[in-house]
Amino acid sequence: MSRVGIVAVGHGRFGRRSDASVQELACEAFRAALQDGGLERKDIDGTVIAAVPEYHKQRSLTGVILEYLGLNPLAGWLTEDACASGSAAIRTAWMAIRSGLHQVVAVIGCQKMTELTTPEILALMGRVGEVQWESIFGTTFPGYYAMLARRHMHEYGTTKEQLAAVAVKNHYYGARNPHAMFRKEITIDKALGSPPVASPFQVFDCCANADGAAVVILAEEERARALGGDRVVWLDGLGAATTTMSLLRRPTLVSLPSAVEAARQAYQMAGVGPGDIKVADVHDCFTIAEILAYEDLGFCERGQGGRFIEERQSYLGGKTPVNVDGGLKAKGHPIGTTGVSMTCEIVKQLRGEAGERQVEGADVGLSHNVGGNGQYCFVHVYKKE
Amino acid sequence: MFSWFGKVNFTPHTKVDEFAEHLRQGRLMGSRCTKCGQQSFPPRADCPACLHDEFEWVEWDGKGKLLTYTRIDAAPTGFQDMGPYVIGLVELEQGGRLVAWFGESIPEDKIAMDMPVQVVPRVFEEIEEIKVYYTLEQPGTSWHRAPRG
Amino acid sequence: MDLGLKDKVALVTGGSRGIGAAICRELGAEGAHVALTCSSRVDAAEQVAADIRKLDRQALVFKADVADFSRAEQVVAEVVEKLGRLDVLVCNAGITWDGVSWKMSEKQWDQVITTNLKGYFNYNRAAARVMKERKWGRLVNLSSINGLRGKFAQVNYSASKGGIIAMSKALAKELGKFNITVNVVAPGMVMTEMAQKIPPEFIKKAVDETVLGRVADPRDVARVVAFLASEPARHVTGEVIKVDGGQYI
Repeated sequence: MSRVGIVAVGHGRFGRRSDASVQELACEAFRAALQDGGLERKDIDGTVIAAVPEYHKQRSLTGVILEYLGLNPLAGWLTEDACASGSAAIRTAWMAIRSGLHQVVAVIGCQKMTELTTPEILALMGRVGEVQWESIFGTTFPGYYAMLARRHMHEYGTTKEQLAAVAVKNHYYGARNPHAMFRKEITIDKALGSPPVASPFQVFDCCANADGAAVVILAEEERARALGGDRVVWLDGLGAATTTMSLLRRPTLVSLPSAVEAARQAYQMAGVGPGDIKVADVHDCFTIAEILAYEDLGFCERGQGGRFIEERQSYLGGKTPVNVDGGLKAKGHPIGTTGVSMTCEIVKQLRGEAGERQVEGADVGLSHNVGGNGQYCFVHVYKKE
Repeated sequence: MFSWFGKVNFTPHTKVDEFAEHLRQGRLMGSRCTKCGQQSFPPRADCPACLHDEFEWVEWDGKGKLLTYTRIDAAPTGFQDMGPYVIGLVELEQGGRLVAWFGESIPEDKIAMDMPVQVVPRVFEEIEEIKVYYTLEQPGTSWHRAPRG
Repeated sequence: MDLGLKDKVALVTGGSRGIGAAICRELGAEGAHVALTCSSRVDAAEQVAADIRKLDRQALVFKADVADFSRAEQVVAEVVEKLGRLDVLVCNAGITWDGVSWKMSEKQWDQVITTNLKGYFNYNRAAARVMKERKWGRLVNLSSINGLRGKFAQVNYSASKGGIIAMSKALAKELGKFNITVNVVAPGMVMTEMAQKIPPEFIKKAVDETVLGRVADPRDVARVVAFLASEPARHVTGEVIKVDGGQYI
């Protein structure tokens, strides 16, 4: 069975981009990808857009993106799974290539979160869980993860200091990533002294909404080798799974079952285990989410995620470096784009192009992209030859 | 009618509409599939076990256990006038779970994980529209149900 | 029609004579237990209570000036304590103190407004607090056609009776969600002992005003009150029903 390889990546600057429209952001990342891979538009024969449309004034984003980037008459469509849209779109592109219908597909992640007014965003944010039975009580996105955090703290003794340690690490690396929204390091005290959001979370436990775009270009094996030479990174393991959207029917409150299952599929397909992963990007929308990810992905035992960060095992030089690009926490979270951003980072790591954030000898990497309050998860395993 | 349920309601249409009327009368109601007998809370028009589409209403006694909770300081639109409020996720003894606010009988400093609670149907009294909800109270808290018939 | 009043508990203010007494007897005949207040004629009130007990129903008498706010809370609490519940409140106690406006004293105005309007507020408020917990209630307030129209030499009385109508409508809006109906009965002239003291020419004038050629018997009013207090009247609220023989159409 032929492999699918990533031949080009492009990443834009994340942040409050009131200087650009969504198609202009997409173009930044797309141009960067073409330059990165030494490609031209004519090398591409299909597109998948990753974005969460309801945050934009523009209806039906795909049309406007393809037009602005000059990609007509290529086929293009949107793939959306809340914050997991990016990886969902990459999975779609992988399937499009393996089906034989396409050979070189550009996945364009683009998202503006700041076009809406604050009240409009607040109203949308209140409708993330099950709207019929939960949102009527004013649940919020941080509120859901906060409830998971509290359960984890109750069952395993995870502490607020351990949660804050995740934010400290990610801001440390974000300061070293020119594309990140937040470029300053923080301390545990600063995190613990920040205003409350949804107990036990404070401001520094929560990622920030951001605008931003990222692009990856995938190709079937033969085209990939021709276009990418020895810089190709192979997308060899893909897992995808869901769990309930609502906490009312969630089987467990101390793990994301969607992540456990998606990881299992991806590891099996790639023929690797958690111990083989040299570098990973996980979905740290909230600090607890990274701790759950360590456990769900098998980087540590169930319940030991707090200890994992406390022992600096997820720093460079630790057992499994995680989010050394700053994660969602420091990069910001343009929700449709994030999964694509993760792939960009892992590809750079596996090529040895990550500069001062390079993980030594990284040849197998993983991205873990979650949507909503845990209901969607996509895990990808990447290999360098 | 379902639009009575909750402070801000986002579901104008549902087959389990009557839930809100039962709540107004002081009853917490779940559903039972008329084909396989599976009971559900929250009530479902479509059986989760066999997908049959007919159900009957069954009263839940509202006894439950607190699984987890959070105090919301940054509230979404429509809830900002409430000030910080605490939401609990409760596992019901009769089955199913729900999300609700804590009532006056459980102040924030008395909340404890896994504590037993009683879910009590409530009516928003001081607004003009009919709006219903439920709160989490100490076990043994009593309330009135409207006379039947 | 079964009014469904059997074993319900009713409180009637000003139940010792006239329309109030007729209301008490009518509710008792329909099977309700009845508590009544009176301000002075306790003996007459006790007679009404005795008649109700003959029907094998419970009856309680309270001496109360309806203008007394905290006494109203006391009376309602005692009714609930002794009779177990409160389902129906009929406010009937009222006075007149006529006079042309430019000669009307401050006391004439204050006394009529306080007794007739505030007195009804006191009891409606106390009863609502109890009824909304039980999610069933009937509030029936007696007004008058002179609350719908203006009556010569009754600036104070007309104001109070008109006020009762608006107050009852506002109450209906607040209490509907608790399954409590609030309605008004507005009689025309009623032949009570008090009315018997009215000069005959005024009575004739009233009779001529009606299209049915008669003035009301207190039972005519009591039966409409009983209907509004009933289960079959569950969908009538915020309404004003005249019982005036067509005296004011």
